[in-house]
Amino acid sequence: MTKIPLSLGIGLLLALSGASYGQSGCRQLIPSCRSAHIEDFSWDGRYWRAELYGGETTEIYYTFFRGLRYRIIPCGRSSSQAMPHLRIYNANRTLLLDTRQQGERPYWDLELSSTQLLLIELYYPSGDGCVALLIGHRASEEVAAVR
Amino acid sequence: MRGVKPLLRSGWGLISGVVLGLVACSPNPPPAARDLHAPDSLYVVPWEQVEVYLQAAPSPVQVSLWLRQEKVKFYREPLHDPTYAGRYSGLQGAANLGIYLTDMAYAHATGRYQEAYDYLSAVNRLATTYGIEDIFSIERIRQLDKLQDKPDSAQKLFTQYYSEVQTRLSETGQEAMLRHMILGGWVESLHIILHLLEKDPQNQPLAEVILLQKGLTPLLVRLYSIDTLQSKASQTVLNHLQAMQKTLDALPLGESATVTNAEVKKGVIQMQFRSQAPLKPEEIRAIQSHLAPLRQFLVKI
Repeated sequence: MTKIPLSLGIGLLLALSGASYGQSGCRQLIPSCRSAHIEDFSWDGRYWRAELYGGETTEIYYTFFRGLRYRIIPCGRSSSQAMPHLRIYNANRTLLLDTRQQGERPYWDLELSSTQLLLIELYYPSGDGCVALLIGHRASEEVAAVR
Repeated sequence: MRGVKPLLRSGWGLISGVVLGLVACSPNPPPAARDLHAPDSLYVVPWEQVEVYLQAAPSPVQVSLWLRQEKVKFYREPLHDPTYAGRYSGLQGAANLGIYLTDMAYAHATGRYQEAYDYLSAVNRLATTYGIEDIFSIERIRQLDKLQDKPDSAQKLFTQYYSEVQTRLSETGQEAMLRHMILGGWVESLHIILHLLEKDPQNQPLAEVILLQKGLTPLLVRLYSIDTLQSKASQTVLNHLQAMQKTLDALPLGESATVTNAEVKKGVIQMQFRSQAPLKPEEIRAIQSHLAPLRQFLVKI
């Protein structure tokens, strides 16, 4: 499986299909995904986006705190209309979860029992296309209930 | 397009040329100290080389919410002096933007609103250097200050402001400065957490944050190994980070990163990790001894 830096994917797209789709298609993913799925989660402005071709994947490192609930929103559709999926690894690169085993969802909420640095790998099971990721956060329901 | 962005914009180019010229003419300052104040054109780094690592460190807004959840106490002594804000520029200015935002987040998280206001004012003084003064305008700071008795609303507003800063720095070709801001926020978060741990060594959630630095610090090392040929200040930051990494490598992270259960319930992924023994006081001091010189390098006048 080829891993690519996020922007490199954009570069590949531009080379292959011209600038207009890469700029507008990928850019539009962020605001549309945000408004559709962020709900009451706070978004701190971080986002990732890439063009994935031929089974390429892209990686994101992120620190997740215990006591917070995170909303991980993978955005986009591949050329074969597949939704993007996530593989979640720990800091030692041990695979913890592949969302493909859990069906298709527009977003995944995540809670951890301890604060961790995790690696998220984004991929399309089939087809090529632009993909983006947003992560929102808020107090976990358990903590919010106590407060 | 998010390919290699032209960091040397016309306005910055003119300013940076003049400033670099002036710096080159000044007789004495050592290269690292000189580069601390250099404009962002010195830190030209290809965007695709940094973005994979750039967002790994937690943002002050996340740290703020988490500290509030943990109900930590407020200590003034580890925090930076907000009256220095007007004296910073270049790498140091961007790093101190992150430092002051984190100090503000900590003060806010512990209900110290006057201190939070002071740090936001410090951010406002620095913001003009990076074209983000409208995001941290006095009017907006007052708006935030009015929400003292509504910490959740204030948290949301702070998150929105931080989001705007990130977007603005990215979209105006200041990714390199964004990197220094994130470094400053990371350094200050660790500095505060280590101070809190010193006061409460058995606090497991605080220790967990220190332990994960074993995985995070190598990413920051990669982030800073990119432009060391151009910038002595980046080289100094890199040296400090590498020294920290050596200390962290000795910590037993392996067990704490082991997941014991991962399941999805109603769309919520829940992961249980093996619990970790508290950090020993000597381990806390060893990390502090490597973090302190890096922080000092960033805050010194």
